[in-house]
Amino acid sequence: MATTTNDAVVATHGLTKRYPNGITAVDGLDLVVRRGEVYGFLGPNGAGKTTTLRMLLGLIRPTAGTATVAGGAPGTPDSLTKVGAIVEAPAFYPYMTGYDNLRLLAIYCGVPVKRVDSALDAVELTPRARHKFSTYSMGMKQRLGIAAALLKEPEVLILDEPTNGLDPQGMADVRNLITELGKGDRTVLVSSHLLGEVEQMCTRIGVIRKGKLVAEGTIDELRGASTLMIRAQPADQAMAVLSSELGADKIKLMDGSAFSLNVDFARAAELNRRLVQAGVDVSELRESERSLTEVFMELTGTESGL
Amino acid sequence: MRALSGELFKTVRRPSVWVCVIGLMAAAVTIGYAIPWLIETFPPAGSSRGLPPGTTLADFKVALYPANFVRQTLQNWSTLGGVFALIVGVLLQGSEYGWATIKTLYTQREGRIVMLLGKLGALAVVVLVLAVGLFAVDALASGGAAAIDGKSLEYPDFQLIVKGVGAIYLIFGFWALFGFTLATLFRQSAMAIGLGLAYALVIEVIIFTLIGSLGGDWVKEIQQWFPLANTGYLASSFGRVALRGLETGGLAPYRDATHAVSVLLAYVVAFVLICSVLLRRRDVTN
Ligand SMILES: Nc1ncnc2c1ncn2[C@@H]1O[C@H](COP(=O)(O)OP(=O)(O)OP(=O)(O)O)[C@@H](O)[C@H]1O
Ligand SMILES: [Mg+2]
Repeated sequence: MATTTNDAVVATHGLTKRYPNGITAVDGLDLVVRRGEVYGFLGPNGAGKTTTLRMLLGLIRPTAGTATVAGGAPGTPDSLTKVGAIVEAPAFYPYMTGYDNLRLLAIYCGVPVKRVDSALDAVELTPRARHKFSTYSMGMKQRLGIAAALLKEPEVLILDEPTNGLDPQGMADVRNLITELGKGDRTVLVSSHLLGEVEQMCTRIGVIRKGKLVAEGTIDELRGASTLMIRAQPADQAMAVLSSELGADKIKLMDGSAFSLNVDFARAAELNRRLVQAGVDVSELRESERSLTEVFMELTGTESGL
Repeated sequence: MRALSGELFKTVRRPSVWVCVIGLMAAAVTIGYAIPWLIETFPPAGSSRGLPPGTTLADFKVALYPANFVRQTLQNWSTLGGVFALIVGVLLQGSEYGWATIKTLYTQREGRIVMLLGKLGALAVVVLVLAVGLFAVDALASGGAAAIDGKSLEYPDFQLIVKGVGAIYLIFGFWALFGFTLATLFRQSAMAIGLGLAYALVIEVIIFTLIGSLGGDWVKEIQQWFPLANTGYLASSFGRVALRGLETGGLAPYRDATHAVSVLLAYVVAFVLICSVLLRRRDVTN
C-alpha cells in the first residue's frame, strides 16, 4: 500500500465549519486519506462527520481551512467527476423508478447509461429497479444511494453512514461490497458511529470528537499493545511476586484475583513458573486485547458529544 | 448540455408538470370557449337587458371566432395562464429542496451555475409548451365555434399569431421565473406558491386600487414599473374585440408594448441574477 503524502487523495488543512447558529461543527481538521485506503471516519452523533463530508463535496463552504479531493477543490467538476458520494439519507426523485433515477444521474455525469444495470446489480436492487423510488423501503433507498455513488466508477467513494437503515444481511452485504470496492487503487472514505463496522472494513481509522480528530491510525495502532491477563490466588501473594518481577506500575488489579499486566505475551510462561514456584495457584493466563469499544469510549469520552 | 438534458429527462417524466400543461389547455377550452359559447347560443331569458337596443348576447360570439383568437387568448390568459406557469416554475425548483435532491444534483459533475442554467432551459421548454399549446388549443376551439355557427374561418395573419405567441411566452416566462425565484428564496414550494398566487391575483391589484383612489397621474407613473401592469399593457397592445353596435374601445393602455417588453425582460434578467447569487452562495444542508 502506498504511504507517502503525495498519494493523498483527500487532504484537509485546518478545515473548520461554524454554522450560522454558532455551533462549530468541525474545528481545525487535518485529515489525510491516501490512495487505496479504506478510511473509517468514526465519531459519535454530532461529532461533525456529515459536516466534514459536506465540505469535501462542496455542498457547504468551510468557515476556514482548505480541502482537496481527488486533485480538485471540493464541488468543482474536476473533483466531482472522480467522486461518488452519499451524504446522510440518499435523495432521489420519488415519481421516477430507481432505474430512471440512475439514468438521470448518468446523464448528469456524462457516463454511459449501460453502467446503470451493473450498479443496480452490485447492490442487488435489480428486481425492484422498475418500481418508483417512492415505493422503496428504507434499505432499498440506501442501496439505490450506493448504486448511484458507484455510477461514475469513481476514484474516491465518500459514504456517510452507508449501512444506515439496512437489515443485518444488508449491512453485511454493504460492508463486503465496500471492502471489495476498496481493493486496488480506489479510495474509500466511510463515516460511521459503529465500531464493529469500521473494524471490519477499514484499513485506517480517524476518530473525530466535537469537530476535532482525536486519534488516527490502523486498528492495531489504535488498540495499542495487548496485555496479559492472569487470574491467580491468593491475590496478595501473587501481587507480591508480580511486583518484584515487573514493577508495580505495570500491574493493574482488575477484580478479586485477576491482574492485567502491561507486558509482552512472550513472558507468560516465565511469569507462570515464578508464581507457581511461590506457591500461587494460577487458574487463567491469556492474552487480552483492548476491545475497540473500550478505545472508542476512551477517545470520545463517555459523556455525550452533543 | 448534460445539465439541460438531465433536467428535461426528469421534467417530462413528472406528472405534476403535465397536470399544469393539460390543466391550462382544459381551462382554455372550457372557460374560454365552451361555456361562453353555450351561454351566448342559448341565452337565458332576460339576458339582453342592459345591452344597447338591438344587441343580443349572440353578438358577443364574435369574440369566439378565429379572427379574434389572438386577442382573446392574451386578454383571458395573461394572468390566469401565468398562474399555471408560476406553479411550474415553483415546482421545478422547490421540489429539489423538498426532496433534498439538490444535494444529489450538486454532487454529480457540473457546478451550481451550470445546473441552474440547465434547469432554466428546461423551464423555458415547458413554458414554450404552455404558450404554444394554449394558442393551438384556442385556435382549434375558435375554429370549432365558427364552424358550428357557420361563420368565417379566417384566422389573423400568421405574423400576428407568432407575435401573440411571443407575447404570451414572455408573460408566462415572467411568471414562471417569478415562481422559480420565490422557490429558490424560500427553499420550498408551499410558501412560494402561496405568495406567488397572492401577488398575481390580489396584491398588486389591491395596492393600485387603493392608492389609485387617491387619484393623480403619479399613481400610473409608479404602476408602469410593476409586473401586472406591464403584462396588461402587452396583452392590450393586441387590441380589443370590436362588437357590432357596442363601444368597446375602452381606455388605451398607459404604456405601449415596447415599454412592457423591456420591463418584463428586465424582471426576467433580475430573477436569473438573484437565483444565481442565492444558489452560489448558500450552503446546502438538507
Ligand atoms: N445545518 C446546520 N445548522 C446548524 N447546525 C448544524 C447543522 N448541521 C449540523 N449542525 C450541528 O453540527 C454538529 C455536527 O453535526 P454533524 O451532522 O456533522 O454530525 P455527525 O457526526 O454527522 O453526526 P451523526 O452521527 O448524528 O450523523 C452538530 O452539533 C449539529 O447539531
Ligand atoms: Mg451524520
